Amino acid sequence: MNSIIGIAVKDTKTFFRERGTVFWTIAFPVLIMLLFTAIFGREIPFNANIGIVNEDGQTQITESVLSGLSSTGFLTLRNFSDAAEAMRELNATNVRAVLTLPQGFTQSLFLQNASVSLIIDGSNLDVARLIEDGIKTFFREYYKTFHNQTYNETYVEPIVVNAETSFVGEKKGYKENIVPGMLCYPLLFSSMVVSTGAIVYEREKGTLKKIRASPIRPINVLFGKTLAALFQTTISIFIMVVLAILLLSPKLNWDFTLLVPIMFLGSMNGIALGLIVSCIGRSPQEASNAATTVAIVLQFFIGMYFPIDYLPEFMQQLGRIIPMTYAAQAIRDIMVRNATLGNIALPLATLTISTIILYGIGILLYKRWVEK
Amino acid sequence: MSEGKTIIQVEDLAKHYGEVKAVDGVSFSVQEGETFGLLGPNGAGKTTLMEILCGLRRFDNGRVTVCDFDLTKNPYRVKASIGFCPQETLLYDLLSVRENLAFSASLYSLDRKKFKERVEFSSKVLGVGEFLNKKVEKLSGGMKRRANLAASIIHDPPIIILDEPTVGFDPTIKREFWELIKNLKANGKTVLLSTHDMYEADEICERVAIMEKGKIAALDNPHVLKKTIGGGPSLLVKVKESQQDKACRLLEKYDCTVVDSEIRVSATNPWKMMTEVSEMLASQGVYADRIEIVEPTLEDVFIKLSGRKLTEEEANR
Repeated sequence: MNSIIGIAVKDTKTFFRERGTVFWTIAFPVLIMLLFTAIFGREIPFNANIGIVNEDGQTQITESVLSGLSSTGFLTLRNFSDAAEAMRELNATNVRAVLTLPQGFTQSLFLQNASVSLIIDGSNLDVARLIEDGIKTFFREYYKTFHNQTYNETYVEPIVVNAETSFVGEKKGYKENIVPGMLCYPLLFSSMVVSTGAIVYEREKGTLKKIRASPIRPINVLFGKTLAALFQTTISIFIMVVLAILLLSPKLNWDFTLLVPIMFLGSMNGIALGLIVSCIGRSPQEASNAATTVAIVLQFFIGMYFPIDYLPEFMQQLGRIIPMTYAAQAIRDIMVRNATLGNIALPLATLTISTIILYGIGILLYKRWVEK
Repeated sequence: MSEGKTIIQVEDLAKHYGEVKAVDGVSFSVQEGETFGLLGPNGAGKTTLMEILCGLRRFDNGRVTVCDFDLTKNPYRVKASIGFCPQETLLYDLLSVRENLAFSASLYSLDRKKFKERVEFSSKVLGVGEFLNKKVEKLSGGMKRRANLAASIIHDPPIIILDEPTVGFDPTIKREFWELIKNLKANGKTVLLSTHDMYEADEICERVAIMEKGKIAALDNPHVLKKTIGGGPSLLVKVKESQQDKACRLLEKYDCTVVDSEIRVSATNPWKMMTEVSEMLASQGVYADRIEIVEPTLEDVFIKLSGRKLTEEEANR
């Protein structure tokens, strides 16, 4: 035990003496957090420029339509005198869509056969869908109001779809969805990058010879390295959690009695993976590149940004055999869906088993390398 | 040679790297309290042999016993009995000397009390006390080597293995280091060191094994080796390079050897022979830059055994 702690203390002291390493360990979660806060921290995360071509002239109806569109909050209107000019701006991507109120729009509204033309930039299909759905919804709601006021009777839709989004606890927004994914960053990146340097650095510097010449067993070397890497990963996680709470104030279930074991096991998986890369890499540069590549590839498989259901079938299958997927899912379930210990029993078991397997592989690789 | 019990026993040890026999059937023993040297040029197999003894390398054949523990069966017991100090400085630059010593102590599970005692010992015997709290990156080369040795023996091992401990040192620091090794011996330690410096081996080793191409070519007390293999005193004749071939032809009738630009002539009566050789060469138009009588050294022993020189330049080539 003395030797395990000795290695951990030595690695931790060395970490704190390397100012650049300390800086980037803190800067990494801070930058990621600030970036995500800037993107997802707003109440309305989307706004699009829309070109308006009003061929019907200034009427009470067209004025109220344009004022209504403006007040939706997700559209910024730009008026154009003719369609050709508006289309030029659309092609130049200065506006996302061009909405034309045709001549006679006001009159046809009273005749109940009004139509408008909407041409949307198709370079981003998600944005196009948002604009189309938003404008269609606006006109449906506008017509309801128009009908009620004009005919003094309540407009009845032929079929009413009563849709509502189900939330466990409070209503969740963008930031509530993104924060659990962000907390997976240190589990994947910090843990792997930190532990990757552990063995390969000692080997490069020659100090591994000193360790190998001592009576410390290979498993204890790995445990000592793990303790130090765990400490550094915890710093990243802590910074991320604190910043998430301070900057985003997400309405999430911060059940640390469940989050801590999942994050611990997730970190252990990442660290073990890093140690394996460390034993294979021949130079710190090679090991660092390998760890970064593995982490970048894995982030798409484990459901950090989007549910793995979005992935093609073969990628989903691959994602399901990656232990970190269970950590990401469990963190999301705890924080968003108020999962209980029973709900996360499978991820806990999976992560425990995978940690043991990965450490087994790490020990074999380390022993094989030192006995060469 | 010290009369004590055998502390290191090596029997028919072999280590191959493909076709290359790095260690080829080596056998020797080291007695408790002895300072034992492995002398040979680079590539002779000294470092491989030492790394095997320290459990850093596997071996293909043979048997190694250290402090009565079989290396194959009890590698961790063997490692705990040895303090290994390799050529390179294995310290962490960003940590202080004390922190480095503490780390080394933790590898051997030393308790606080023992650690404190050993730090005091290192300060007294190895002189690390004056820079204990300095970061390694701030130390001079000599200080680093002393700290490196202190870290290697922090666990108070009975055996200290030093791989080329003074390579690259200037003569003053080299002598200081020899004194440190003598101090360790005076403290009851068994020292096994490798070197390609014949003076070092002569100065501090009680017995020397001369290694060449993975084998032990000779093993004994330096004095005995010099006397039995190095022969008696000889004449060292140094002539201009342009006249070397001619001088060699003229001296052929004597028992002579040419190594680099020096001609060594065996001499039973060196004073008489010096005049004779000098006059004979001069009569043939060869004028010696230098003729002197030299006592045999371990280098002569090596030359006799291998036919080549054992200088640092040679070894580093």
